[in-house]
Amino acid sequence: MAQKKTGRRVVVTGLGVVTPVGTTVPEFWDSMKAGKSGVSELGGFPLEDLKILIAAQIKNFDHKARLKHFKRDRIISLADRYSWFAAVAADEAVKMSGLELPLTDPYRSACIIGSGAGGLVTFETAYRDLFIEKKKATHPLTLLRIIGSSAAAHVGIEFGIKGPTFATCSACSTASHAIGLARDYIRDGVVDIAIAGASESVINYGTMKAWQALHVLSPEGCFPFAKKRNGTVLGEGAGILVLESYEHAKARGATILAELCGFGMASDSQDMVKPTVEGPSVAMQQALDDAGISTSQIDYLNAHGTATADNDINETRAIKNVFKEHAEKLAISSTKSMHGHPLGAGGGIEAVACIKAMQDNFVPPTIGLDEPGEGCDLDYIPNVGREKQVTYTMSNSFAFGGLNAVLVFGPPPA
Amino acid sequence: MDEVATKITDILKKHMKEPRDDIALDTALTDLKIESLDLAMIVFDIEDGFGIEIPYNANEDVEDFKTVGSVVERVKSLIAAKGTSAASA
Repeated sequence: MAQKKTGRRVVVTGLGVVTPVGTTVPEFWDSMKAGKSGVSELGGFPLEDLKILIAAQIKNFDHKARLKHFKRDRIISLADRYSWFAAVAADEAVKMSGLELPLTDPYRSACIIGSGAGGLVTFETAYRDLFIEKKKATHPLTLLRIIGSSAAAHVGIEFGIKGPTFATCSACSTASHAIGLARDYIRDGVVDIAIAGASESVINYGTMKAWQALHVLSPEGCFPFAKKRNGTVLGEGAGILVLESYEHAKARGATILAELCGFGMASDSQDMVKPTVEGPSVAMQQALDDAGISTSQIDYLNAHGTATADNDINETRAIKNVFKEHAEKLAISSTKSMHGHPLGAGGGIEAVACIKAMQDNFVPPTIGLDEPGEGCDLDYIPNVGREKQVTYTMSNSFAFGGLNAVLVFGPPPA
Repeated sequence: MDEVATKITDILKKHMKEPRDDIALDTALTDLKIESLDLAMIVFDIEDGFGIEIPYNANEDVEDFKTVGSVVERVKSLIAAKGTSAASA
């Protein structure tokens, strides 16, 4: 069992999201509280022979309006959609944090923004141009749009971040790894401030075909832990936090939203798609040990909850394995039932849901949960959110390949 | 300005942060605040618009891209070369 790590305390001072159920934190949280679904008919490109015809897409996103005030980054509006989402979410988080720009010491700040797949939509457009349209060249910005580090670079440029700036990539755990690493950099004294999270935008013909071929998408909807669950629903978006050392936040009189007090990461090292109980359990236990709290102190767990047959039952087993008798009393929900599965961005968006749950003392529901699936016998807050004292929260991210990352948030230090 | 020059000027304007109307053939591209990434996008649009390929390397200082007029001349010669090779094919 891991020992509580020592080092500086790390707090959250800013939140930003772009999701299918809200492209600002207030709008997103209102949707979470209301149990609103972001799943809709797939659109925006020729569907051709696709069989899965639903997704949680962000429709009518006016990137120009949201990015027009950007000053240092001249070409953000020409970037890939995944970079737009990251930039918009980072902008909201930085504004909320009240950080003054330019930063006093830009080398003491980090920008860690991951993406599971980078600019896949640009990739497909470029290859269509080359192979189908027989064009002689791709658009000159193709390479810069595609690379998985471009969101981190764009955000780093706009906000003048000169310390560690890079992307993480661990499929559906990407954001949680980014946030966890940023936490460690601040805790260990490498930097004082970090913009961290992830962004994803991959919904196009080729991606839908690839997911379809894996046979894990639902043709009907995202119903985590339900008997009727038959796969996940692809989503898109970004979730970004501003993290700071407690001393830094206190010294500038910032409003502290939460403490990021626990981080665990463990890999199954077994199979690309079949998860183990052990890997997620170890990651959860590490995060609890790191936070120095007991299982009974977690008031809300935002589950990975993808609505695939394997994941939900495995996650339930892992939760029982770690939480023992407290598992029965634990409030658990999968907000993916509402915002869909935003792949790499999931942990960032769900971290925001956890912190809002703490601020509001309200746990968001798992919608579409009319009848629980076999072996899914915990309290998943079915269909309607619940008012409840929420002091500590846990956010689970478990990715293809068995890559597990878990975050624990607590109240602002007294 | 002839048709080729007008078309090229329009492409330049499209990629300028602050488009201006006093672009002449002897205007230097550096005066238009065109940077290397802008140039790559301008070359792409010119290639697409005229159906030609402009060989250049962004690492080198290219004589052909000093002024608006030199770009126009280069494009005209590439169009002519394309016509010749098409005729001889």
